[in-house]
Amino acid sequence: MTLDRDAFMRYSRHLLMADVGEQGQETLLESRVLVVGLGGLGCPVALYLTAAGVGHLTLCDPDNVDLTNLQRQILYTEADCGEPKVDCALVALRALNPSVTFNTHCAVVGDSVLPEGGADFDVVIDCTDNLAARHWLNRRCHELGIPLVSAAALGWEGQLMTFDFARGSRPCLACAIPEDAGEPLANCGNSGVIGPVLGVMGSLQAIATLRLLLKGTNGADNEPYRPLLQRFDGRRETWTRFAIRPVSQCPVCGDEQPETHGNDIHQDKNTERKQL
Amino acid sequence: MIKVLFFGRLGDIAGAEERKVSVPEQVRTVDDLRQLLGEDGEALAKALNEPQVMVAVNQDLVEWDHVFEDEDEVAFLPPVTGG
Repeated sequence: MTLDRDAFMRYSRHLLMADVGEQGQETLLESRVLVVGLGGLGCPVALYLTAAGVGHLTLCDPDNVDLTNLQRQILYTEADCGEPKVDCALVALRALNPSVTFNTHCAVVGDSVLPEGGADFDVVIDCTDNLAARHWLNRRCHELGIPLVSAAALGWEGQLMTFDFARGSRPCLACAIPEDAGEPLANCGNSGVIGPVLGVMGSLQAIATLRLLLKGTNGADNEPYRPLLQRFDGRRETWTRFAIRPVSQCPVCGDEQPETHGNDIHQDKNTERKQL
Repeated sequence: MIKVLFFGRLGDIAGAEERKVSVPEQVRTVDDLRQLLGEDGEALAKALNEPQVMVAVNQDLVEWDHVFEDEDEVAFLPPVTGG
């Protein structure tokens, strides 16, 4: 692939960077990324990746735009209320960068989006709002060896965990949060969330994704693989980092994994919960 | 003495983000510590015992049977799952 004149102008601020450059931009244009959830996290993630020229984006969300979303979900306008998020997002993102190809799924994430037998994605981004969907994505990405960039927010707090399953199979999300923990009592719907906290976390997910995609062209990025939980406190504008250690009895990545681990969770009714 | 950190709304419930705690000898694991701290009040006990709460010792996430040592920093993180 070679960049045409318009692409040279559009991506000039990438091309100026030694560790992106033309080769990096071409890598981005050939990349395939799945964004699961188009709420407060998914909006900035989809906007930044579309703007950056990540060439093939798949968007997945089962919900329609609601007036209560507009305080933080920056892809949508008042006129979008009642319409499927994936449709509204598609219009806005195509207007931003028509050279990106989009696939949309107006559905809860499942086998049709991320098949058990293999899926053609370089990175999966977890922008969902419930642990059932997060754990399903964790199992499936672990099984397929696809890097997973998972973020969450509530109130003034955000957290980010990136698991590069292409580089190392352990630890995983279930090492940090047990799969059988159920859903917490507090969520954005009953406890609220500050919009820009989602913007910070979504932006960081987009940064993590670009770094993962550019890994092959970015010689500087050769740090050992050490998965972290990064926590952001918006009230104090502070970050805290925690190391995530592999848990030996982890049912997903531990020493004794059940044979059928890819299917179990998906058949759980909990995964049919709405996501955003 | 150990240093206990309460993140986010756990700090709101505990009334402090940080506490120095001297622990009796029989309190050895971070789960023991959680139960000890929960004796301060029902709201804190309930919040600390939510099954999605994470605990870290010296900025490493650990399991609840982890045995901490004197001078350790033990952080309790409330669940954050919205998006």
